[in-house]
Formats: sequence, structure tokens, C-alpha cells
Amino acid sequence: MSELKFVGHDEIRIDGKPKITGAAQFVDDLDFGPGLLYAEIVESPLAHAEIKSIDTGKAEQMPDVVKVVTGKDFPFRFGLYMHDRFVFAQDRVRFVGEQVAAVIARDPVTAKKAAKLVKVRYHELPAILNVEDALKPHPLLIHPDLKSYKHVPWFFPQVNTNIAHWRKVRKGDVEAGFKQADLVFEDTYTVPRYAHCAIETHGAVGHHDYSGRLTVWAASQSPFTQRNLFAEALAPLGLSHKDVRVIAPFVGGGFGGKAGVSMEILAAALATAVQGNPVKILWSRAQEFYNTYQRQGLTAKTKIGVKKDGTIVALEQTLHWDAGAYVEYGANVVNAAGLSATGPYRIPNVKIDSCCVYTNLPPGGPYRGFGYSEFLFGLESHINETAKKLGLDPVEFRRRNAIQEGDPLTYGSKMNPSGLIECIDKAAEAIEWSKKEPSENPKTVRGKGFACFWKAPAMPPNASSTAFIKFNEDGSLNVLVSAMEIGQGFQTVMAQIAAEVLTVPLSKIRVELPDTDRNPYEWQTVASHITWGTGNAVKRAAEDCREQILELVERALGKKREDFYLESETVRSRSEADFALPLRDFAINGIMMKDGTYRGGPIVGRGMFMPEFSSALSDAETSQGGKPNVHYTVGAAAVEIEIDKETGRLRIPRVALAVDVGKAINPGLVRNQVVGGLVQGIATALYEDMRFDAKGRLLNPNFTDYKIPTAMDVPERVIPILVEVAQPDGPYGARGVGEHTMIPAAPMIANAVENALGIRIKSMPITAEKIALAIKHKR
Amino acid sequence: MPILSEFEYFKPSSVREAVRLLSKYKKPAVLAGGTDLINNLKEEIDQPDAVIDIKGIKELGGITYKNRVLTIGAAVTFSELLDSRVIQSRFPVIAEVAKTVGSVGIRNRATMAGNICSAVACADSGPLLAAYEALMLVHGPKGKRRALAAKWFKGNKRTDIKKAELVTAIEIPLPARRHAGCYVKLGRYSGEDLAQASVLILALPGKQYRVALGAVSPVPVRASKIERLLNGQDLSDQLIAKCQALIPGLISPITDIRATKEYRVHMCQVMFARGIRAAASRFSGNGPEYGVNLI
Amino acid sequence: MKKKLSFVLNDRKITLEVEAQDVLLEVLRDKLGVKSPKCGCDRGDCGSCTVMISGKTVRSCMVLAVEADGQRLTTLEGLMKEGQLTPLQQSFLEHNSFQCGFCAPGVILAATELLERNPKPSGDEIKEAISGNLCRCTGYLPIVEAIANVNNALTPPGRERLGKKVRS
Repeated sequence: MSELKFVGHDEIRIDGKPKITGAAQFVDDLDFGPGLLYAEIVESPLAHAEIKSIDTGKAEQMPDVVKVVTGKDFPFRFGLYMHDRFVFAQDRVRFVGEQVAAVIARDPVTAKKAAKLVKVRYHELPAILNVEDALKPHPLLIHPDLKSYKHVPWFFPQVNTNIAHWRKVRKGDVEAGFKQADLVFEDTYTVPRYAHCAIETHGAVGHHDYSGRLTVWAASQSPFTQRNLFAEALAPLGLSHKDVRVIAPFVGGGFGGKAGVSMEILAAALATAVQGNPVKILWSRAQEFYNTYQRQGLTAKTKIGVKKDGTIVALEQTLHWDAGAYVEYGANVVNAAGLSATGPYRIPNVKIDSCCVYTNLPPGGPYRGFGYSEFLFGLESHINETAKKLGLDPVEFRRRNAIQEGDPLTYGSKMNPSGLIECIDKAAEAIEWSKKEPSENPKTVRGKGFACFWKAPAMPPNASSTAFIKFNEDGSLNVLVSAMEIGQGFQTVMAQIAAEVLTVPLSKIRVELPDTDRNPYEWQTVASHITWGTGNAVKRAAEDCREQILELVERALGKKREDFYLESETVRSRSEADFALPLRDFAINGIMMKDGTYRGGPIVGRGMFMPEFSSALSDAETSQGGKPNVHYTVGAAAVEIEIDKETGRLRIPRVALAVDVGKAINPGLVRNQVVGGLVQGIATALYEDMRFDAKGRLLNPNFTDYKIPTAMDVPERVIPILVEVAQPDGPYGARGVGEHTMIPAAPMIANAVENALGIRIKSMPITAEKIALAIKHKR
Repeated sequence: MPILSEFEYFKPSSVREAVRLLSKYKKPAVLAGGTDLINNLKEEIDQPDAVIDIKGIKELGGITYKNRVLTIGAAVTFSELLDSRVIQSRFPVIAEVAKTVGSVGIRNRATMAGNICSAVACADSGPLLAAYEALMLVHGPKGKRRALAAKWFKGNKRTDIKKAELVTAIEIPLPARRHAGCYVKLGRYSGEDLAQASVLILALPGKQYRVALGAVSPVPVRASKIERLLNGQDLSDQLIAKCQALIPGLISPITDIRATKEYRVHMCQVMFARGIRAAASRFSGNGPEYGVNLI
Repeated sequence: MKKKLSFVLNDRKITLEVEAQDVLLEVLRDKLGVKSPKCGCDRGDCGSCTVMISGKTVRSCMVLAVEADGQRLTTLEGLMKEGQLTPLQQSFLEHNSFQCGFCAPGVILAATELLERNPKPSGDEIKEAISGNLCRCTGYLPIVEAIANVNNALTPPGRERLGKKVRS
């Protein structure tokens, strides 16, 4: 096989030019003409209350107000994995900021003013603001109707409790394992909530035209999933899937927050209330903080049993997730984490209880890492402590227990090919792990930290991707997929795959943004699975085109197709050196025969990829027997820090992250994910800090007080390391990476802090204040 | 986010005209950089009946140094302070303070006068002007007056300004033939932040010092007690420790979502120690460059 | 209170009537169709609304439209003469600096302002100059690299180099 010409190279992004010229359009940039209406939401000021009455009279009377709607106008449940949510609160509100009503007006100022005139009377209920209170015996039930909620078969809601889902994993015999162990050690780790903070806020425009078509333009990672949920939720209004169209322009950052359906359903629903006019709803930054998915909080109790030589024999994890008021998406985070909370290690006896707990806080949901960052903080901290107690080097400890290809996973099936050992070795080498480098400054102290990570895409077993490829008259291509360009650069990667198969250069390939009318189905752009799933679909579509081309050439010219191949946009022959038939000559027009008739016609390729080996069915009490995860991407990260002992401030001279991507289709873009992910992860470790008051109100819904990294906050040196142990079912061997680069950040920092100071901090964030005061109190 | 309230807008070209407008309206707001006011308008914290834009008044736009007094016009931005040659050469600690305010895009608009008129407890200009014993030049219907910094700040977001008055300049007297200084500001990370605590130190000839603390009381604190201990003495670890011990008694920091009281007190002590050594060594000519972050 | 404004936007003269309380960002986007400045936070914290007034970057969400009267405004669209990318934009393109692109217009203006004052900035100077522009995707290093390489300044140590440079 000759060298790859496009795949594996650092191609320039094909969406680069629109973005650096300002041409790239995001949802708020789209124009809808003078008929556009604006919606403003009326929100609950209380965390938990019954709605007694809503008086919309004054608001409705305001000039230029078109309509005021409340929950009773849309009594439809919806949700991705569980139907526990309404478009507007019905009989009660469950978190501060929950939408109770909406005003639709001709201009934003009127909408805002009128929204203030809507009077809602509440009967306040006690609010449950932490997991402990939610789990007390005979608790106040946040969802008394839990029993009646439709949900996917792999969820296990506990009726008459606030536990929306309980994932139980039982492998081997942990009690026996602990008995065999030379050391048994238990501790508790807490991780608070975090916000995605994409710089573009959520927004959507809905238009229900007079023919009955509903179109929604949304800043969304999931146009087809949104179409599905809109069609399901609004079916009582007579809409079917074909009548619902979702168009997604460029998205200004997703990180999971723009997946599924959160506020976008408002655009769909409100559009039906003002048929004929498009209506826009755009979230403010404050709403972005308190009324979109948040990364859930976690309290993790971890108990490990190990032999003197460092072999892990047993692991018990009790994971209690603060999942918020609605868990239609977040419960799957709890599920995914539960299945993988062993980390990338070979452990024969495992007991995991991962509980999704309702609280009166904003809904938890998908966030880059999907539960793995949360549980890995505790697990990787615990592993370090365990190694320390045994007097073993923490890197060596991990190498000894590292999961290898073929090892059994927590739920029975087997680990895919993985270069974890190579990642461990390379990450350690990159920061000279064994070299002790004491600080030259008496006020500071240096340390090194390490963490391994893994993650599998958390998807339903039938998550699929499809692709169309159309040739144009000049031999250029349009690739139609419904994956979303949220910044990761997937469009370029798809173009590289199509280019490799069809020998058309990237400058002649466009990858189109999703329009559910025109682009074929994609489940969602989440789970770091697009390169793998959509990449496979695009490769198949390109191969389909190539098949059509070769078949046509054979039929038209009467020669054997095995003789032909593609090179530089031309059909060439192995036996006739002079033979050259440019694709542009026939890709639309077909090939003309001697008698003037034509053969062929427009070349249009189709590809579809859906894994047929994945299953969510397993034993409800043990999780054994399923194959819920298609494969894991693994890696390791190492960091060198320097702490100022008086201020607690931490600087990062060097951080390395090695990840096994199977095949880096565009290595530069993968390295970019490493930089971006590490910076985001390090911020959660050091200063991102969500604060709620005693009544469940978010105190810092802005960038003034929820700090995300600036250019001055980046580590001094970032060392991305790409390892390539091929994924057999991936396009060119590629495996997903996107979320992964954030996952090891927090535990790696916690471990480095412990290494530097001998102080183990078990709760996030590990702020300068926490460190300084811990040092002070230690004295 | 649109601004819901409606107001008149004026851009007078003289101080006199501005004062006249301020007298005429019941709830006027002065607009210079807008980085505080516009946000307050959006959040409905301020609902003025008129906005008086002072950027059209030429005499408010200059930085002058005459008779050993630095005069900073009310419309002078933090960026202009950074670019000023006279400040760089004679009052470098002012540039050090200016550099910590927001980021370039904020500094291109925000003014020191606006900062001291909003008088939020964490204002960076507060301890600066307290230490320099600066004067606010104020014009009003009854004429003009000067208010000493120590009398200017009355409480969190409260100043000595009276109805229809306009701050037209800040006057900073040169404290000595030669002096050095240091500003240390506590933030949560390396990017722009509002001070959770700040220390401003001036080192004057004869081992004289001026010490002011910001963001740890409703108004900037001039630490005269500490100055009395320091003045005339060589700096030593013991002397610095004695000064640090006085700090908790001089300040009244709060615990909020940005920092706890304990950390603020602790950091004031750390920042004082580093700041005073830096100021003293800068005075001797061998200190760290201005603008280097000491914490 | 209605006000008549007259100003120059991207080298073109504009006359417009606005209300005193209209914010510049919204007037640019909704009345003049200039979409490159974005609304990310509405408080001046994120820099995505950045435009230039007389060559200086400002947060247009913190400026009243009336303040533009008599001024010279520049947005990203105005940096390009006859559709030609500036060397800075070309450098961003070649370094694959941006991901989602939402922060790009603000960053490009901030970097343009920097390079005009200081054609060969150090890595720290670059980071400080763009520290008011929040980017959630990139971790900034590819942006810093691209700015540093426009005038062949030393590549700051940061991210190990991108591998061979690109082709289109």
C-alpha cells in the first residue's frame, strides 16, 4: 500500500478562512427579516416550589407583545434518555432559573419589559440542595411521578426515592478480593459542578410556517436528535418528522453543553404559538450559566485492595452524583461513569454503585469527558496514595496494572487494542519523571504528578452516521454529513478521508453544515466519536463513489476494472501508461460512447456506519454480559508544577499528555485538542469554582466571578504525544479523541501538589487559597 | 442585552456646561469610559434621566506635570496613563497599577477618575491615591474645590461627591525628589481580576514609607501605624514581621465568593512583605522591574 | 432620546439615527449588519464584542452607539482591503490557530493593535495583549504562535511545533 497522501498530514482547516474573515455565521448572525419576533423567558426565583397561579394579563396588554405562553400551552414531556422534562414547568419548579412562561414580542426591549409584568405565585417547598439530603430516608420527592417516566432500557430508576438511576457493576467478588489484599485503603473525594462556558451562548430560532413546516436554526451539536425530540414532543400538534427541519450553522463551542435538547425546544414550541413568524430565543451569559446543562457534582467513596507488589485485587466505588432537577441526559453520564469507574486498569474484583440523584439545582448533563473527569479525580488520587503507602513509584504502579488488549472490562467484554504502556512511558519521559528537580527559590517547592485516563464513547448501541458525497462538474466534491463543526476540525478530517480515497485535493472539497432536510442522519456530535463513526461513513461513501467510477469505466470502455486506479483526480491504468481519464470529464456528464450515447451520469456516493456489535442489554444487578462501549481511547499525562508556599499559587513549567488515537488523521488538530483540553482541565483543577447560596441560586453566573483561562494562564510548555496503535474498525485505524485530553488534568495536579507539599487535597477546585491555608495550618 | 431605561444624552464641550446639565437633571450619570456605567445601565442598577458624556471636554483629556504636581484629567484612560512618559519616568508605580486594570480593551476606555468615583472597595486606584495623598479636583455649581483622597472615600461605592459636582482631575503631588513604589494585587489566577486584596507602597528618601491597602475594607486603608514602625529603619525580617502582625488590626476584609477573610489577611501580610522589599530595592536602584508580578 | 450619528465604519461614512440607550454592539450587528463582533457575555469580560475606535480596541458591548459619533470605527471586515487577508490572518490560517472561531474576530483585532505598536512582541507580551479575549477551545498556544510568527519573531516556547506546515 503506498504512502498516504492526505491522511496523517497537517492539512490546513477547510473552515479556517470563514473563521478568520468573519464570514462564518453562528445562529445569532442569521437574519430573518422584519417578521422576526423575540422571546423572553420568565424564570423561577425559587429552587423548589408549586406554581399556584400565573397572571399574564398585564404582559399581554403591552403594545407589541404578540403572545404570552405558559406550561399549560405545552404539557409535553421530553428527554433524550428519559422523559422527565417539560418545555415549561407544569405544576412545580425544580431549580432557580427554570422557565415558567415566555413573552413573545416584536422587539427585545418589549419582550424584556413585558416579561417583568408576568406575575407568578408560588408555594415554596423545601429545597434539596445536596445529595445527602436527597438520599435521607423518606425524603421529599423531587419527582414524585418517577415511576411513570419513559426511559431507555438500561436505566434503573428507584421509585419512591430521589434516585433516578442506579448503575450496579458486580464483577468477581470484592469481599474475597479485599481479604486477599495486603493493603485495603478507603477514602472520599468530592468534585463540584462545573460550567462549559463556550464563548457562544445557546440560541435558537423557530419558524412554524403556514404550510405546517417547522424549521429550527440552532447552535446545536445534535440536529437530528433535536429533530427527533421536537417531533416527538410536538406530535400532539400534528407534526411528523418529515415536517420538522433543523439547520445548524457553525457552533461557537459545544463541549457537550449544546448536545441533546435543552433550551432549543423553546424555539420549536414558541414557533408553534406564533405560526407564520420566526421567533428567536438567545440565552444571556447568566442564563447560559444557570439554565443549560452543568457538569454534575460527584462524591466518590473509593476503596482499593492491593498486594504488596502493587497488583490491584479489588476495587469498590460508591459514586453519588448531584445530577440536578432533570436528568434526561445526565443519567447517562452516571451510567457511563459507572461502567468504567475502574479506570484503565486490570482489576479482577469490582463493585461499583453509580447513583444518579435528583437535587433542586440546574440540570446536569453532558460535559466533555462525560463523567470520566469526575470519577478519575478520586481514582487517580487514590491510586497515588495507595502507591505511596506501598512505597512504590506511582508510574510503575500504573504500568503494572495497566489494562492491555484482550483483558476483561468491568462488564465482561474485552479491551480493544491500546497503547497505554507506550503512553505511560512517553508521558513520564517527557517530563523526566524520575529526575528530582528541587526549586532554586526558597519560597517555592516543585513537584511532579501523573495520571492515566481512558474513555469510551457513551452512546446507544445503534448510534449511526451517514454520508453523501456528490461530485460537481469541475471534479470538486460536496460531502454531506450531519456531524457538527463545533471547533474540533472534523470537517477537515472528513475531507482528508474523502481526498485519500478519491485523490481529490482538499482545496476542491467542501463539507457541508447540517440541514436535516438535505444532509443524511447523524446521531449527535458527542462522545468523541465523529472521526470514527462519521469518518467510517465518509470513507464508505467515498469508496462507493470509487466503485461507481470503476464500474462505469469498466462498462463504458470494456476493460477489467482491476486494471484501474485513481491518482490525482484521474482514472489511470496499470497496463496502459498513457491512459488518463479525468474525473471532471464524466463525474456529472457520464462517458460518451462512439455512437454518441452516454454511459453513467452523476456520481453520488453513499456511506453508512452503525456498529452492529454493541448492546446495552446486561444483567441489571451486575452489568455483566453487555457490550455497551464500542472501544476505549487511553492515555497518560504528566505535569511538573512549582508552588509558591506563601501564596499557594501554582505555575506549570511543563505538562505532557500522551494519547493513543489509533491513527492521527490530522496530527496538528489532535495536538490542538491536547492543548485546549489540558488548559480547560487545569482550570477546573485550579480556579473554576461554582458557588450556590443557601437557597440554590447561582452566585457567579458571569466571567467576572467564574474564571476561565486567559492567555496568561496557560502552562509554559505543553507536550502533546501521539501514539498510534490502530483501531481495527476505525477509518485508517483512527479512534476518537476530543474529550480525553481534559480528563487527567485534575488528578494529575492533585498528585503533583501532594508530591510537592505532602498535602493531599481531596476536593476540587484546588485553589491557591486552599493550598496556602493548608500549608499554613500544617505548620 | 438592551438597556431598558431611557435617558437624555449630552456631550458638553466645557466643564461649565457639564455642571449646568448635572444641576438640571434629577439623576444624572457621568459617562467617561463606560466600563462601569454601561453594565450598571444594563443591569438596572443605575437608572439615570440623563447621561453626561465628558469625553468632549478637551481640558479633561490631558496628563500634565507642573510644579511637582501630576494632574490626570478625568477623561484620561488607563492606556494613556501607561503610555505617558512623565508617569513612566517619575511615577512608575502608577503605570504598575494601571497595567493590572482589566485588559487592553478595558484600559483603552476606563478612566482613573471613573474608578475612584465608582469607589468600589476593590478599586485599584484607591490605595494608590491614598498613599500619594492625592487630591480630587471637583467642579460644582458653587465653584471648584479639592478633596483629599483620605476624605474622598466614604464607604463602599460612596464618595464625598455632592449633587451636580464633577471630578475634573486627580492631582498627585510628587512626594519627594526621588521615590519608588510597588503595587501588589491579589487575583484568583493570572488573567484580569478584581482585587481580592491589594497593597500599595511608596518608598521615599530617608527610609520613609507610605503603605496603603485596598479591597480589604470599605475604603482604602492608609496604614499609618505600620509607617510609624518603618520610618527611618532598615528593613529586616523582624521589622517586617512586626508590621505584618499589625495588619489584621487595620483591615476588615469580608469572606465572599472570591476569597475568605483568612486568606485575604494572610495575603495582605505576604504582599506587604514582598512589596516593601521591592519598593525599597527599587528605591536603591536594584529592584525588580515595574510590572513584574511578585505573587 | 433620538440622536443622529455620523461616523466612519471600515472606511465608509455612515449616518444613522439611534436612541441614546442603544448599545454599539447591537447597532453594529442589528442595524448595520456587521456581524463579526459577537455577544459572548454582555459585560466586557470576554472580548468577543471587540471593535476598534481610532485604532484602539474597545468592548463594544460597553459603549453606547452615540459615543461613536465623529469617530473612526474598524471591525474585522475592515481589516481586509479588497478581500485580501492581512499577513496576520494568513498566519492564523496556516497555524490552524482557531477552532470554533467565535473568539476570532476579537482576537484578530487585539493582535492587530499589538503588532501595530510592537511588530516583534515576546510571548509574554502577546499573551498579555490578548488576555482580554476569552477562548475556550484552543488553550491559546496556537494563537500565540501565529502572532509571534507574523513578523518572524522568535517562536515562543509553548506547544511543541505543529509538525510540518500545511498545504491547501
